[in-house]
Amino acid sequence: MPRWGMVIDLNTCTGCGECAAACKIENNVAIVGPEESDMGRTMLWMDMLTEYEGEYPNVKVRYIPRPCLHCDEPPCTRVCPVRATYLNDEGIVAQIFPQCIGCRYCMAACPYTVKSFNWYRPEWPDTMESALNPDVSARPAGIVEKCTFCIHRLQIAKEEAAVENRDLREGDYIPACAESCPTKAISFGDLDDPDTEVSRLRRTARAFRLLEELGTEPKVYYLYEVE
Amino acid sequence: MKRNSTLILLFAGFVLVIGIVLAAILNDEQPIRYNHEKHIQDADLECVDCHRNVETGERASIPNIETCSECHDDTEDENEEIRKVATYVDEGKRIPWKQVNVVPDYAFFSHRRHVFLGKIKCETCHGNVASMVTPFSEPYREITMDWCLDCHQDRQVSSDCYACHR
Repeated sequence: MPRWGMVIDLNTCTGCGECAAACKIENNVAIVGPEESDMGRTMLWMDMLTEYEGEYPNVKVRYIPRPCLHCDEPPCTRVCPVRATYLNDEGIVAQIFPQCIGCRYCMAACPYTVKSFNWYRPEWPDTMESALNPDVSARPAGIVEKCTFCIHRLQIAKEEAAVENRDLREGDYIPACAESCPTKAISFGDLDDPDTEVSRLRRTARAFRLLEELGTEPKVYYLYEVE
Repeated sequence: MKRNSTLILLFAGFVLVIGIVLAAILNDEQPIRYNHEKHIQDADLECVDCHRNVETGERASIPNIETCSECHDDTEDENEEIRKVATYVDEGKRIPWKQVNVVPDYAFFSHRRHVFLGKIKCETCHGNVASMVTPFSEPYREITMDWCLDCHQDRQVSSDCYACHR
């Protein structure tokens, strides 16, 4: 059974935000207006954390793309009263939308604040309505949602591999963010297979994980910038 | 006494008429009185011959004029239903079939996975279509999560919520 994980190279990432945009489109993530956004209700499954260093005019901006980190010891799943969020067999922290009751305990428990609450019934302009991804549900208001590592892509890839009577190959399944990255800063694959690109990268000296000291064992690794 | 009997008879007659009208409305729900039996048993067609995405896609697809026109184009046919099909074909209009089996938007069902890979017979979910002489006006059976999960557990396939919900 694979254990899916991601490596994001901060040295290659230019902070263009393409991953965040691709994620929003791929997963039918609702668009929130500026007023709601000011209230902290922006919905992003892949967020772009920005960090400013120094003072104007000598400012250095760092960007950290941040999806759900799919922890091996996820604090969010322990507090869910209805098992709407759990760690599945392939290491993906599931968020089952029709099961969620919107209590938001998981949001409070997540130290990386990756989860969003759907405050409004999502609405899209007419022209976008027809562009919604049919492989992903459009979530109703009142539930918590987050990055699923584009699980629908895994299911489609598995089905296609089964039709061709073969095993899943590296690269058959990659989330929209990794696929869209113009500088190929995001790698994705099976962390348990020592020969995959992600396994190789996470063994390098530049690899680290966010808030590692918490013991959440995230499966999203970052590679330090080279100064 | 006699008056009571008359009233009862009148009421029974009224119920009968309503029943017939309702039955007619239900049967005529689809734009064409499609006969599965004739196509499967007499014309020796397989389900997949018309529902062409069953083995290759998520949705089975409801055949429309592109498929029907391969066999039906005689607008003068003696059968009224065939004339209707041929007219749609002739005028290039879509047949406004009413979709009967609808998967809710929070669940995902792949025909390819179940029919092509899982080798599940169409009849399991859709009943004995080969002997149906009228089109579907309602699903053959109510698809409940319990029912899906029973089958998933019997066949020892994934019962992860993500298998269907995403």
